[in-house]
Amino acid sequence: MNNFLDLLVGTVTQGLIYALLSYGVYITYRILDFPDLTVDGSFPLGAAVTAVLLTNGLDPYLTLPVAMLVGAAAGLITGLIHVKLGVRDLLAGIITMTGLFSINLQIAGSNMAIDRATDTIFTAAPTMALFGGMSLIYRKLIVSLILAIVFKLILDIYFNTKSGLLLRAVGDNSVLVTTLAKDKGSVKILGLVIANTLVALSGAVVCHEQRAFSSTMGTGQVVFGLATVIIGTTLFKNLGFVKGTTAVMVGSILYKACIQAAISLGLPANLLKLVTAVLFLVILVIGNRQKSGVNSNA
Amino acid sequence: MKRLISVIAIFAIVLTLAAGCGKSKKPPVIGISQYGEHASLDNCREGFVQGLKDAGLVENEDFVIEYQNAGFDDATATQIAQNFSANNVALMCAIATPAATACFAAAEDKDIPVIFTAITDPVQAKLDKGNITGTSDKLPVDAQLELIRKLQPEAKTIGILYTTSEPNSVSAIGEYQEKGPEYGFTIEGLGVTQQSEVTLAADTLIAKGVDCLSNLTDNNVVGVLPSILEKTNEAGIPVYGSEVEQVKIGCVAAAGIDYFELGRQTGKMVAKILRGEATAAEMPYETISEFNYYINSAALAEMGIDVPAEIAEKAIESGNQ
Repeated sequence: MNNFLDLLVGTVTQGLIYALLSYGVYITYRILDFPDLTVDGSFPLGAAVTAVLLTNGLDPYLTLPVAMLVGAAAGLITGLIHVKLGVRDLLAGIITMTGLFSINLQIAGSNMAIDRATDTIFTAAPTMALFGGMSLIYRKLIVSLILAIVFKLILDIYFNTKSGLLLRAVGDNSVLVTTLAKDKGSVKILGLVIANTLVALSGAVVCHEQRAFSSTMGTGQVVFGLATVIIGTTLFKNLGFVKGTTAVMVGSILYKACIQAAISLGLPANLLKLVTAVLFLVILVIGNRQKSGVNSNA
Repeated sequence: MKRLISVIAIFAIVLTLAAGCGKSKKPPVIGISQYGEHASLDNCREGFVQGLKDAGLVENEDFVIEYQNAGFDDATATQIAQNFSANNVALMCAIATPAATACFAAAEDKDIPVIFTAITDPVQAKLDKGNITGTSDKLPVDAQLELIRKLQPEAKTIGILYTTSEPNSVSAIGEYQEKGPEYGFTIEGLGVTQQSEVTLAADTLIAKGVDCLSNLTDNNVVGVLPSILEKTNEAGIPVYGSEVEQVKIGCVAAAGIDYFELGRQTGKMVAKILRGEATAAEMPYETISEFNYYINSAALAEMGIDVPAEIAEKAIESGNQ
C-alpha cells in the first residue's frame, strides 16, 4: 500500500503543479474563446527565468512573482499583436510562442540544471519551518496544493468582480460588452495577461520541482491544457455548483493519473501516448454517459 | 457525482494493481528510464544489461529490469521517475540527460541511487554530486580531428552544425574550436534552435565552402542526417560522424565511442553497487577512453578519399555493402 500512496502523492503533485497552467488555458480557451498558443512559450519562459534567478541566489519564493510578471508580459505581447495589430488569434499566439523560444534560450543560455545545494520553494527555510517534519514528496504535495488552491480562490473571487464578469462576457457575448461601452480588446488583453501569468507560474514551479529548465519543456503544453480543461468541464457538466477552476484542477490530476496508469501497467513504452488517448476517451465517455444527444461543447 | 466516483475508482484499481505487481518481485529491481528510442541509446541499454551479466549477475535471479522510455518528453520522464521511486526500485538507471535529471529529482527523497549513462557533461548538468554516478559519452575530439587530417590532408575548414540549447553540443563545439587549430583546422560552427532549421544551416555551411562536415552527438542534427547527406553528396563534401550508427547511414568515417561498450561499463558499475562493494555516492563518474575508427568504404570512394593503411588496419567497416 505504501507504493500506491507514494505513487498517488507524486501523481497528484504533478497534477496540481500543472493545474496552474490549466487555469490559464481555461481562461483563454473556455472563457475568452481564444485559442492561445503562447502557452508553449510562456511555460518554459517561467522556468528559464526561475532557473537563472535561483542559480544567482535569489530567494526561492521571490522567483515566483518575477516569473509571473515575465509571463504577464508574454500575454501582453500576444494581446497587443492580436488587438492592436489585428493579427488573427491563433497566429498572434504562434508569433509570440516562436519568439519566446529564442528569448528563453537567451535568458538561460542553454538548458540549465540547478544543483541540490540550492534551495527551492520545497526546501527553503519558510517551508521547512512549517512542514519540515514531512518527507520531501509530501512537502512537494503540500506546497503545490497550497499554490493550486490559493490561485483557484483568487480566480474564483476575480470572476465575480466587475472586471471578471466583463471577461466572461467577452467570450459569451461580445456585443454586450460593446453595448456597455467597454472596449472588448482591452478585456481580451487582460485575459491573456492573467492566463500567461499563471502559465509562467506553473513553469516556474516545475523548474523548482525538477531543478531544471529545458528549452523543449513547453512542447505540447497547450494540448495538455486543452485536454485538462475539456476533461474537467465534461466530468462536472451536470454539477452546476462545481466551479470551472475546480473542474480543471481535477482534470489536470486525472490527466497525470492517466499517464501514470499507462506507465504503471508496464505497457510497451512506444504505446504510452496511444494508451493515454484511450484512457481520455474512456473518461469522456463516462462523463457523457448520462447525457443524451451530442454536446456541442465536448 | 456517480461518474466521477467511477472514474476515480478505475484509477484506484489500476494504480493498486500496478503497485501490487511491483511488490511481488523478489530480486532488486533496476528501473531503466531511457529518454527516447534512438539507436545509440538502445545500444547503450543493451550494453548495460550485458555489463550486469558479464559481472556474473543473472537476470530475474540477481536483478529484475523494469524498462520505460519517455518518448523524448520531459513531463513523461518525470512521471516515470516518480513511478520508480514509489515502487522503491533498488536503483535507477537513466539514459540521456533529461531522464537523469528527472530520476535524480524523484530519487532525492528516498536517496535511491541513480546511475546515468550517455551524458556528455555531468558537471554542467549538476549530476556529479550526491547519490549518483555513471558514465559520460564525451566525444573523442582529438581522435576525430586526427582522423580528418589523415583522410583529408589538404582540408582547412570543418563545418559543424549544433543545437544551441543542447549543453552537450555547446561544450563539444567549444572543445573543437579550442583543439581545431592544433591540427591546422578552422572550425566553422553554426548553431540552430530546432530540427527544422538544420538542413537550411547545412546549405549555409556548404555555401561557405567548408572542406567537410563533422557531427556531434546532437539529436536534432543526427535526426535529419539523411537529408544533410543528400546535400553534401551533391556538393562533394564528406561528412564525418560521431559514432557508428551515423557511418552506417552514410557518413564517410568516424572516431567514435561504442555505445554498447559504454552501457557495458555502466552495467559493471551497477553490479558493484548491487553487491554492496561500493555506493553511487562514493564512485566518481567514468568516461570511456577507448574509441574505434569506423569507415564506410562506399561513401569514401564516392568522395574520392583514399584511406591510409594505418587507419584502414584499425578501422571497422560499417557501411552497407
